[in-house]
Amino acid sequence: MIPETSGRLDAGAGLPPAMSTRSPSPFSLAGENGVLELSATMREDLLDLDAWGEVLKTYGRTMRVAVALTDTGGLLLGKCHNPQPVWSLVRGAASDWGAACPFCITKHLPCAAVADAVRTSAVATVHDQAGLTHVAVPLTLGKQTLGAIIAGQVFDRFPEQLLLRRVARDFGISAQELWEVAKKERPVASALLQASGDLLGALGHAFLQQRHGAILEKKLAETNDRFRWLAEGVRDYALFTTDTTGSVTSWNVGAERMLGYAQAEIVGRNFSCILSPEDVHGRLTENQLSKALQTGRAEYEGWSVRRTQGQFWANVNITALSNEAGPIQGFAIIMQDMTERKKIAIVLEEAQRERARLQEKFLSHVSHELRTPLTAIYFFTTNVLDGVFGDLNPEQRKHLTFALDNVGQLKVMVSDLLDITRVETHKLALAHQPTSLVKVTAEVLSTCRTNAAAKNIDIRSDVAPNLHFVWADPARVRQILTNLIDNGIKFTPDGGTITVKSQVFAEDHDFVCVSVSDSGCGISADNCKIIFDRLAQVKGSGEVSRSGLGLGLFISKELVSRLGGRIWLDSHPGHGSTFYFTLPAFSLAKYCSHIFSAANLDAGSVTLIAVDVVEVKRGAQADILREIRQILERCIDAGQEVLLPATGDEWPIVTFFIVACTDAKGLAVIANRILRDLQCFDKTSQLKPSISSTTLQVAHGQSREEQIHDVTVRIESSVQEHLLGKERIK
Amino acid sequence: MTQTKDLIAQGSDHRTEKKILIIDDDEHLLLGLTARLKANGYAVVWASDAVAAISVARKEVPDLVILDLGLPAGDGFSVLERMRTLADLASVPVIVLSARDPADNKKRALEAGAAAYFQKPPDNHEFLMAIRRALGETVALSTFLKT
Repeated sequence: MIPETSGRLDAGAGLPPAMSTRSPSPFSLAGENGVLELSATMREDLLDLDAWGEVLKTYGRTMRVAVALTDTGGLLLGKCHNPQPVWSLVRGAASDWGAACPFCITKHLPCAAVADAVRTSAVATVHDQAGLTHVAVPLTLGKQTLGAIIAGQVFDRFPEQLLLRRVARDFGISAQELWEVAKKERPVASALLQASGDLLGALGHAFLQQRHGAILEKKLAETNDRFRWLAEGVRDYALFTTDTTGSVTSWNVGAERMLGYAQAEIVGRNFSCILSPEDVHGRLTENQLSKALQTGRAEYEGWSVRRTQGQFWANVNITALSNEAGPIQGFAIIMQDMTERKKIAIVLEEAQRERARLQEKFLSHVSHELRTPLTAIYFFTTNVLDGVFGDLNPEQRKHLTFALDNVGQLKVMVSDLLDITRVETHKLALAHQPTSLVKVTAEVLSTCRTNAAAKNIDIRSDVAPNLHFVWADPARVRQILTNLIDNGIKFTPDGGTITVKSQVFAEDHDFVCVSVSDSGCGISADNCKIIFDRLAQVKGSGEVSRSGLGLGLFISKELVSRLGGRIWLDSHPGHGSTFYFTLPAFSLAKYCSHIFSAANLDAGSVTLIAVDVVEVKRGAQADILREIRQILERCIDAGQEVLLPATGDEWPIVTFFIVACTDAKGLAVIANRILRDLQCFDKTSQLKPSISSTTLQVAHGQSREEQIHDVTVRIESSVQEHLLGKERIK
Repeated sequence: MTQTKDLIAQGSDHRTEKKILIIDDDEHLLLGLTARLKANGYAVVWASDAVAAISVARKEVPDLVILDLGLPAGDGFSVLERMRTLADLASVPVIVLSARDPADNKKRALEAGAAAYFQKPPDNHEFLMAIRRALGETVALSTFLKT
């Protein structure tokens, strides 16, 4: 009996690294780039002994040779098929075959056939001690060698008695018996043996390739099954596919459960039936699909509609489906019901709003409660300081002045507290109007100068001549500017300078840029980053940090951003700081664009009408001004004339400006109508309206833009002139 | 700091004393404001709640009322509205002086007929200017020119 040598495939027996760089064998799947590094299981599957058994057995019988599979190290895998008589006899007697080649009958030289075949990727032929020959054929897939096939155990010439006798001695068997067996063997020509080796190689590789294909196919089928199982089995997600037009092509159980449509009734329909009408109307889904077309996927949240018309909040994930680099075949859509989460979000939002409301209520209460005692202190202090109860000595005056300073600081803090809550609850009310930075700056400086004078700080103002009005709330601009200047005063040492500049913003001419520079200690880069944050207080600012809540710059930043501008600073420690903010310029050209038509401009002139009224002495001033505006609006023809927005409180004479594209006759008509209607309204004749006008010629031979620019610039300067003239009357 | 000094200097001199009614429930405010108004040549009467406010106003018929909004027994708005319905008080100018946020109350106060709205604490100078304007007193125009 022949003991079968068996070996196990050693998964760890990988290839020496050099193997991957050698040129492919004639039998390797040359050029097949699809084969990547094979996994251990894949290798095991490829060399499955049951599958190979049949092939090897058939080959061995047909070719009358022994054949077996080995790993890359030459170790036998499975058994030797069709073993030949001489080998069987010797092998049967050998107690210790060792780790040498399973085919070689030798006690001396280890056979290197497999190693040679693997190294050279070619058929290797060997003779053993008994004169038997065998060939080794490498098995490669792509660039990887999986093992080898050995075939042979036959003589390629007549057996030699001398050799066989030595073998009999080495292996301890009868020389006579061995010779009897050997002499019956018919030698095979070595050329034939070589050809049979080549054939074996081709056969082996064909089989390997086929086996590889079969394994991949099986795996693919398993994956498909797994995916189908996944898609169909997922119940908490609606999972469906559509073609490129949005028509449903597949529909899972989860979709059925979530949306109420059975697969049969929805396949073929456009999936817009599960979207809320608003989304369909708003083209939300169309937009998302085209986004998925462009980028491969899209995700959004929105209301979806069930078959029963009930709505739920869904997270929708769209993936474009395509073959590799091919055109898009359709979309896979995954929907998740997020209604619960949405509900929680709504409740949370509500709670946050409530918290903000309570905080605002609390702070507004605190602010209110603080104001009452503050007012009493203010009156008592100013009364004594202003000498209502007699003269003060210099020391008393100094101390009371300090007390009053502190009242002022408290007042600012109380206002900041309220502003901060308004910022956070988005309740900050803004009243936009064309705002003169010249005027605002002058007002702010007049109040800041007292503080500055106390520290002997010089405040300089530099407003570009003919600077545009800005479209802003003057009270808020005052607040921003006051904050910045007060801040500058705080951080500037005695005897320093603060400069306020306003000019057209160099980067964008539709904005005006205001800057406040100080000659103070400057701010480090770290502090620059946090200085606009809420409650930011610059570290190392020493005693001055006491005055203020650290809200001023935060509020300024919010105000600037609400007004449509931005705020930033430029500072170097030791060299002072400059704060900048921008505000949108008021564009008269835009405001009047509808009357600056070609026909109106070609008429050759534009007129600025100024209606002055003396402000009434008592009663609701704002009300009266509003009514006057309404009266004027009724007096003008919207196609030819525009009433300019108010530029703020100009008491005691308020001027309303009208830009008119009307001829002299038309002007007379408007003027008469205005006077008549105002007299009608103002029965006690307190308003004393007066009308004046300035006519501006439109230059010929200019482009339309140039004409409009030219006219608006001149209107602006006329407005300024008129207001200045009024100041002089006052 | 001493912007009101000039006003006090030009003070009471030759004007006939006009009467101002302060309606406020804070005793210290009444004391402090009264001293300042008297120093500026006005006579001052007080009321500390919404009900007393009307009866004092009817009895005294002031030339001007300084009105707080948060009052016991009704608020400042009720006083303002009541005054507007009474023939003898309908034309008396009212200046609101309240700790309440002007953003929420100024418009309503002006619409109810107040001549001006000041949040506490007011600036002495501006506050006295408003009083003078509301009283229709002639003031040198130069006073209003801000420098």
